[in-house]
Parts: sequence; C-alpha cells; structure tokens
Amino acid sequence: MSAPLLAVENIGRRFGGFVALESVTTAFEPNKVTAIIGPNGAGKSTFFNLLSGVLAPSTGVIRFKGRDITRMAQHRFAHLGIARSYQITNIFPDLSVHENVRVAAQAFHARYDIWRARAALTELDERADAALAVVGLASRRADTAKFLAHGQQRALEIAIALVAEPELLLLDEPTAGMGPEETKGMVALLEKLARERTILLVEHKMKMILGLSDRILVLHHGRLIADGSPQHIQADPEVRRVYLGQNDGYA
Amino acid sequence: MTASTSSVAAVATRPTNRRGWRARLILWRVPLSILALCLLPWVLPSMALATNVLIYGLLAVGYNLLFGYTGLLSFGHAAFFGAGAYVTGIAIAQFGASWYAALALGVVAGGLLAFVIGILSIRTRGIYFSMVTLALSQLVYYTALQAASWTGGENGLRGFTVGQLDLFGWTVDFLDPVTKYYVLMVFAAAALWFVSRILNSPFGAVIEAIRENETRARACGYHVERSKLIAFTLSGLICALAGTLLALHLAIVPLDILHYQTSGMIVMMTLLGGAGSFFGPFVGALAFLLMEDVVSLWTSHWQIVVGTVFILFVLFLPKGIWGTALAWEARR
Amino acid sequence: MMDAELIAMQLFSGIALGAILIMVALGLSIIFGMLGVVNFAHGALFMVGAYAGLWVASLTGSFWWGLLVAPLAVGIFGMAIEYLLIRPLYGRSVDDPLLLTFGLGYVLVEAVRIVFGSDGIPFQTPPQLAGVADLGIGFFPIYRLFVIAVVALLLLLLWLVLEKTKFGLIVRAGAQDPQIMRVLGVDISRVWLLVFGLGVGLTALGGVLAAPMRNVNPEMGSLVLAEAFVVTVIGGMGSLVGAIVAGLLVGVAISMTALFAPEMATIVMFALMALVLLVRPQGLFGKPGRA
Repeated sequence: MSAPLLAVENIGRRFGGFVALESVTTAFEPNKVTAIIGPNGAGKSTFFNLLSGVLAPSTGVIRFKGRDITRMAQHRFAHLGIARSYQITNIFPDLSVHENVRVAAQAFHARYDIWRARAALTELDERADAALAVVGLASRRADTAKFLAHGQQRALEIAIALVAEPELLLLDEPTAGMGPEETKGMVALLEKLARERTILLVEHKMKMILGLSDRILVLHHGRLIADGSPQHIQADPEVRRVYLGQNDGYA
Repeated sequence: MTASTSSVAAVATRPTNRRGWRARLILWRVPLSILALCLLPWVLPSMALATNVLIYGLLAVGYNLLFGYTGLLSFGHAAFFGAGAYVTGIAIAQFGASWYAALALGVVAGGLLAFVIGILSIRTRGIYFSMVTLALSQLVYYTALQAASWTGGENGLRGFTVGQLDLFGWTVDFLDPVTKYYVLMVFAAAALWFVSRILNSPFGAVIEAIRENETRARACGYHVERSKLIAFTLSGLICALAGTLLALHLAIVPLDILHYQTSGMIVMMTLLGGAGSFFGPFVGALAFLLMEDVVSLWTSHWQIVVGTVFILFVLFLPKGIWGTALAWEARR
Repeated sequence: MMDAELIAMQLFSGIALGAILIMVALGLSIIFGMLGVVNFAHGALFMVGAYAGLWVASLTGSFWWGLLVAPLAVGIFGMAIEYLLIRPLYGRSVDDPLLLTFGLGYVLVEAVRIVFGSDGIPFQTPPQLAGVADLGIGFFPIYRLFVIAVVALLLLLLWLVLEKTKFGLIVRAGAQDPQIMRVLGVDISRVWLLVFGLGVGLTALGGVLAAPMRNVNPEMGSLVLAEAFVVTVIGGMGSLVGAIVAGLLVGVAISMTALFAPEMATIVMFALMALVLLVRPQGLFGKPGRA
C-alpha cells in the first residue's frame, strides 16, 4: 500500500447531544475512487464537511499528506489541494460560466490585487476554458451560470473544483437531482477524471457507484460499518440488512 | 423556468455585437462619467444641486463598492462620510492645516475608522451585519455629539471657510461656485477612476464572487473575511473623500451627517439608481436630490414622498433605475 | 448612607429603562426569530406607539385607555404592514425586507411630523402614578415602579403564551427551525401575520410606557432603534432570554454610567456591544450558526 493521501484517526462530530459521526479511522490512497454510502442521516455529509474544513471535528485528527490539518481554516483547504462540490448546487449564479471557473482559478494567483486588470491574467482564462472543456461546457462559456440546466450546473461546479487542480476531489452527490441521461453524462465525466485523481464521493445511486469505485465505505448511524471493494460490500450481510431494511431502491 | 429561461438563452446565443456594446460601455465608463459630471452644472437648475449630486454621487459610488459589489448591506456609512468631513474641518479650524493636508487627513481618518468598524462588524454574518454597522456608527454620532469642544456638538462644526486654494504657486478662487464645482470634480473623477480600477482588478472579481456565493468563494480558497474587510475599508475611504469634499464645499459640518438617517439616505440613493452597476449610484443620487428639490417646492415634507418612492422601488424595481434599464436593454 | 441610596436609585431607574428596552428588543427578536426579518421600522413604530397613546389618552382623557388601545391598534397596523408590504418580499434577498422597513420608518416619521408637528409634546404622568414611593432603601418614582411591574407582568403573560399555548409551541418551534413549520403543516402565513403584529404591538407598548419618561417627538424612535439593536446583538438574535438579560444589562449600564460619567451614558452601551462582538460574536445567548 502506498502512503495515504488523506488519513483520519478517530474523527467524530457531535452537535449538542447528537452524535453525527462517531470515531471513524481510515485512510485514502492516491488515484483511487472511494464512494461513501449510507442511508439518510448516516453521517456522510458530516464526514465530508469535516474532510473539507467546513466543520471542525469534535474528536480526532485529519492528516493530508502526513500534515495535520484538523483545525485549519476552511479557505486554506483549496490551497492544500483539496477541492469539493456540494450536494446542493453551489456556483456563482449571476456570473458567466467562464467567470465562475476563472475566479476559482484566480484564488491561487491574485487574491488581494486591486491594481492590475483582471483581463491581464490571460493564463487564468485559458485554464478556465480548459476546465470547461473537460466537463463539456466550452460552448456555454459566455452564458450566465444560473440559466444553465441543472445537470450543466453540476458539471460547472465540478469545473470550478477541477480548475484548482486538486489532488483530492470531494464530490457530494454529484448526480443529485439528475435524470438518467444527465446521470450517464456525469458518470462518463467522473470515469474520465478518476484516472488521474483521488476522488471521494458521497452517492445514493448504488448502481453507479459499483461500476465507478475502487472502494466503498458504508456509514450507518454515524459509524463506519463496512469498508471494502464493491464486490465485498455487495456481499456484506450487515450492509444488506441496513439497506434492505431502509429502502429497496438503493440496492 | 420556461419563458424567462428561453428568452435569456436567446440573449446568450445572440451574436456578440450587443455584448460588445456593453464591453465598450465598461471600457469607457470613467471618461463617460467625467463627461457627464462636466456637463452636470449646465443641465441642472442650480449649481448647488449639481455640487450636491457630485458629492453624494461619489458617496454612493463608494458605498456601492460594498453594497452592490460585495453584497454587504452596511447601515453605518454615515460614520466614514462624517469622519472625513469632521477631520478635514477640525484640521483646518483647530490646527490651521492646509486644505490638501486636511483633505488627506480626512480620507485617512475615514479609512481607519472603516477598518476598525469593519473588524468588529465583519465578525458577524448576514442580517447582523446591518444592525452592528448601524449601532457602531451611532456610537460615532454620539461621540461627536459629546465631544463638543472638538466637533461643535449639536451646532455642527464651523469656522473653517476655505476661500482660496493654493497649490504649487497656483491660486484658485474657491468661493466662486463654478470653480469650486470643477475643483471638487477633479477629486471625484480621480476617485471614480480608482473605483473603476478596483472593479476591474482581480480583487474586484473576488468581491463579486463573495457577493454571489460566500460558501463557494471560501471553498475556492478565498479568505472571505479578510476580503470583506478590504472592501469595507476601500469603500470607507471613498465615502470619507466625499465627506472631505462636503466639508470644503459647505464650510460647515452639520452633526446630522453622522446620523444613521444619512446612512439610510446613502442606501436609498444607491438602490434607487441601481446597486452593483457603475453608473447606478450617480443616477440614484441625482434622482434622490432632484426629487427632494422638486417636492420641496410644494411641501417641506419631501421625505414622505422620497420614502414612499423608495418603498415602491424595493417592492417593484429592486434593480433601481439604471439596473432596470440595463436589464431591459439586455432582454430587448 | 447617601451614596448607597443614590446608587440604588440609579440601579432602579436602570431597570425601568431596561424594561422599556426589553419590550422593544423582544418585539424585534420575535419577528426575526420567526420571519427572519430585521424590522428597521421598529424604532419608528415605537414612536408611533407613543403618539397613538398620547392621542387616545387626550381623546378619552385617560392614560389607561391609551395604554390599552394604542399597542393593540399599532399591532393591527403592524399586521397590515406584514400583509401588504413584507409578504411580497418573502423568497427574495434577506436584505429586501430590511430595506423596505427602513423606508417605512422614514415615511412614518415624516407622517407623524405632518399630523402632530415636529416639536416634542410632553406626556403627563397619570395622576394616580405621579409622585414617589418610599421603598425603605430610598424614594422611587411610582411611575417607574409601574413600568417595571407592567413589563414583568407582560413577560409572565408572554411566557405563559409561549409555553402553554399551541400558538406558543408553533412560535418556539419556528424560531428553532423554520423548516419544521412546513413539516407540521401549519398555515405559516397566519403565524407570520400574528407574530409581526405581536412584535410591533410590544414595541408600541414600550413607546406608550416610555412616553411619560421621555419627551414624545418624531425622532424618539431613532435612539430606540439603535438601543434595540445593541440589546439584540448583546443578547443574541432570536433569543428571548437574551433580550431580557441584555435589556436589563444595557439599562443598568446606561443609568450607572449616567451617575459616574454622564457624558458617557449613551456611549457605554455601544462599547458593551463592541466587547460582546469581540468575545462572542453570536451574542450572549445566541447560537453560533445564526450569528
């Protein structure tokens, strides 16, 4: 096993008396796709928010490339090489599609520069266009982001994350709210991305995960109940029990 | 998501000549503004009105940097406007400072005050921000009221009439209204150029991103609070400059300019014209002051008319005059 | 000891002042907690309450009618505001109701100037409540005792309503989590109407109660608005306990400062607020997420 990109030790999070995530320990290797699944309220979103610095854990340690990042401010995560998308589409609605991605790229070049013209940063324009091309939005670059179709907005959000050239990409239900056609497109995109990046994704659509992931983690009631290859997870009796008890549609 | 989406899509796919028109407007916005300001005294019924539009327009431009572009609704900008005016007046009246030193001091003082109030208020989020900025600016108001030996208290600050401006051997008669207008305009024009430059800069993109989606901006790697503080301070600097110009213009500083009603007036002007557009604040200041002028002809209670118009704008035209015109033009 | 008596007196008038602030801040907080709207017309409605009380009292010749009728009438006026002006803004930016209510306050002040004139009007303390009472530790104005008693009674009543009625349950649940209303299937628009009316009624009552202690003038609401904001920020937005504790804290701080450094009296509450912002930005009783 190569050195893990991201490792968590006993991380947990409480909200008042409610334990959303209970002492999870695991590590993620580079260039693998790991899916995190579990019924609603299993702690998936909390786990993701801890990994992306949105929330600070109540207990435990998070290490990225060996470095302790447990208490680091959220905005610094992007600079470390961790980018994320959100379950509910999270873009800059009134900016153009291109500007959405360009401004994301700019975070690594000019954050407080009030003097130069932003148009002078031509390299950023190119990088934004490259990211848009990857997600298939090159033709929509001049449109206002809020007028894109839902699936395109999700793709845009991935372009925003991609332009940071992250080593670790956290995707929170990238196909949420998508129809079958849009989902197919997103899966194709994720397969393309998966070749050269470490991806962690939360997903509900079991079928999609099985084909895409190298590894699956199952959370239930804030605890990690299973961890293994897709075949292994499919065969796991506890996972079957949790899912069959919940909702047949998942499996 | 039917009719509106399709019409917008139509705009989006239209050839670039319309977008080119907009790009040219942005490119030429500073020269165009200066041209408009040059003509203003000859278009408006009185020199006094033109000077007020100049000063309050600049004030609204400074405010718009925060409200329109960063998306922060401050109700405390009277403090920076007032600080600029008071410090300029005090520097001249009490310390015999030259007009340009007084002006520089006023701007710096307003900027510093904005920095301090910004540190306190940006710690709070959302709707709290408006309340905290209002309360902190009222603190400045009551402090000025109490420090009467410096500020003149309720009577306002008097006794610093600048009759002529001396600079590098040049002497300009500052009592002549026309000369005065154009001298003040030079400063306003410089500030407009500065603001345009900020909006055009990488930082201008950052504050717009924060306005659009704070969470996303943070996830992209921006230090949201620090960026807001910079925007707040820059905005305060411009408003302080407007204050110093007002002090030089009036040769008195009325205590009222520190009151939150003045902050409210700045908000109203900006919204009436169109927050988040470059020309909007000037259009708003012009509309507001014209309304005041015209309505005052038949009633002293012009505020009830202006307030009602403002309410109607919030309800039906939240993009303001200029913003609505731009949106309408885009839809055409 | 003369000094101890003086301090007791100031403490007491601080509590009376705090009682008024509680009325205003509570109204602001209830409205925010439920509707997510900061009512910038709150100070103006306080002033309208004082004028309404004055007007009703002069019509009927009785302060008591003013005290009873004015808050109700202004509360109903508040409902009309919610229904006609604020309701169209739900679903838009949170800044919009704030801007609108600011404009409304601006209009109300001017409207009162038109009807009642710009000059202040003295409001006589009702004869039954004039004079002072000896409480053993000193002589206190009866009217202030009365104000404290009314506010205490009202807080008790409000507590009973919030804790023991279905309306109270809905308001508390809604303040905790606005989403829950939809889940419970409550007709939320009716609750909003009532809550806005209640909040406005409370500030109007504060206005009537304050009238004999302050000069009644069209601008009286502007200081109150700033005071209410300070109290709300210190106490924590949406927290009713916070509004009560912070109201008393600010009232006492103002009157105690008035004793030792009168020129600092108006300034001290802002300093208090700045301190709270530095140490605990969400306020003493606020939840971190909502700050």
